[in-house]
Amino acid sequence: MNTPTALIADDEPLLRDALAARLGEAWPELRVVAMARNGREAVELFERHRPDICFLDVHMPGMNGVEAASLIGRRAHLVFVTAFDQYALPAFDAGAVDYLMKPVQPLRVAQTVSRLQERLHASQPPMDLATVLAALQPPTALRWIRASVGNTLKVICVDDIDYLRADSKYTQVAWRDGKGEPCAALIRTPLKDLLPQLDAASFAQVHRSVVVQLRAIQQLVRHDNETATIHLHGRNETLPVSRSFLAQFRQM
Amino acid sequence: MSSAPATASFRPRRLLVTLIAAGLIGVLLAMPSDFPAAVVISRTVMTGLLAMIAFSLAERWPRRMPLRFPRWVWQLLATVLVIPPAAFACYSLTTAGDPIWSNPDRIESAAILAFMGLLFGPWVALAGMLSQREAFAREQTLALELTRSELSRVEAEARWRLLQAQATPHFLFNTLANVQALVDAGSPQAASLLSSLTDYLRAAVPHTMDGRSSIAQEVDMTRAYLDIMRTRMPDRLHCDIRVDPAALPLRCPSLVLLTLVENAVRHGIDPSEEGGSIDIDIALESGRCRILVANSMLAQSRAVGPATPGLGTGLVALRERLHLSFGETASLATERSASRFIARVEFAIA
Repeated sequence: MNTPTALIADDEPLLRDALAARLGEAWPELRVVAMARNGREAVELFERHRPDICFLDVHMPGMNGVEAASLIGRRAHLVFVTAFDQYALPAFDAGAVDYLMKPVQPLRVAQTVSRLQERLHASQPPMDLATVLAALQPPTALRWIRASVGNTLKVICVDDIDYLRADSKYTQVAWRDGKGEPCAALIRTPLKDLLPQLDAASFAQVHRSVVVQLRAIQQLVRHDNETATIHLHGRNETLPVSRSFLAQFRQM
Repeated sequence: MSSAPATASFRPRRLLVTLIAAGLIGVLLAMPSDFPAAVVISRTVMTGLLAMIAFSLAERWPRRMPLRFPRWVWQLLATVLVIPPAAFACYSLTTAGDPIWSNPDRIESAAILAFMGLLFGPWVALAGMLSQREAFAREQTLALELTRSELSRVEAEARWRLLQAQATPHFLFNTLANVQALVDAGSPQAASLLSSLTDYLRAAVPHTMDGRSSIAQEVDMTRAYLDIMRTRMPDRLHCDIRVDPAALPLRCPSLVLLTLVENAVRHGIDPSEEGGSIDIDIALESGRCRILVANSMLAQSRAVGPATPGLGTGLVALRERLHLSFGETASLATERSASRFIARVEFAIA
């Protein structure tokens, strides 16, 4: 059998190290291949390392553990870690989901480890947590988009997107990274499939092939032929506004 | 609580007192007289009523008294001035036959009526004003007590809110998990984290009954809280605390600083992957103490524009508490720029 691998996601560094140390005592063969500081990093690092097990803190900034778990799905055995959560804990108990309470107690870690070892040994597929997770995080408007940049996978928060542009079979996503730098990537999902999942209060379709985040608009320049051009904050490229979509800007 | 009695034009109590006093004087006058008692009593009662009307009018008019001329003097003067003509008028109204000035006896009788009015009227008026003043003072005390109990209510609420918001099981167990991690690692940091947690918890447990603390206490408990958060998220929380030493002994509503800082952590630092910074600045400025707490905001929050409607419940409660303890001299203002949120509390130095 291959060496089992694990990922640990927690926004508090001391607690990441503490869990790694506890796991080292209880399961010396387990190799912790990645440490993530939030749900977004957890998903990105999962895609890169494909560990067998993910330990996910429920409360993390940006993407939380429940959202990350839904994106990882059944591709890893999931163990939630939480200090306390009045909603999640009963749901985990009811759904027989593995979880650890912070501060993590050696005995509890040992129990969890032996359960995981059994499953890995028996080559059991990871449990399907979709129902439990959906109950905890009701799917609202789309929050995260996964995009490949080179050979790494990026998880983009929908709030960070400036605009989406249809590009033959793909959709071009233009967004800001953590430092506010403009980035761009292509995703496979067609624009017409993304559009209904976006929050209509923040995004507007301005062209057959362009959807823009309203706050990203710096100014709208009208032309004689009832079209217009959108200039964006901090970006050089402009976006076209076609005749049929110009009406929504009459009030602005 | 209602201020109706002070402005109502008709006061049954005042009327009753006037009737009794004037009636008694009437009985007193009627005894040595061979006149029918009813007539004598009706004269004193009418005179008394006219004097009461003058007293009541002077109470309400003019609306603003000239400087250095107290209203009670004016009310007394009005009562005294009205009594002689009222007495003569009442006398002549209730007397048939010749006008009173043609008969010296009648003039004398009217003068006796006026004299009795002048003898007793001012005392009744003074007694009335005194009892009114007392009632007013009672009302004031009651209102003050009400304010005080209101203050202790919102104070208790603020503490409860803080407990709910931060000293939750989630906060406590996460912090304890950090203590545990440091102890396991044999780190000397464990002791300092534990003592910060103790200081913070002491602040969250009610200990001052008057709802006041000092800037020094506020800064201490805020430092304890920020030390905990910085140990827990060393890479995500940066803070800078500047306090004018002259402000340290000042009295202030308890939890004022902690509420602002807790708010900054919850809305500025917690939701951000990269974290952010909190700057605290406490300074004295022309007789006022100014507490400034600024925090960085997530970029996407810039979306909503300059004004976001409404403050969080924590800040609304803090504003209410500031007004209850400092009145209109205290203020809580917030402003939001592209990437920063600033809360500013100001109050006059007592």
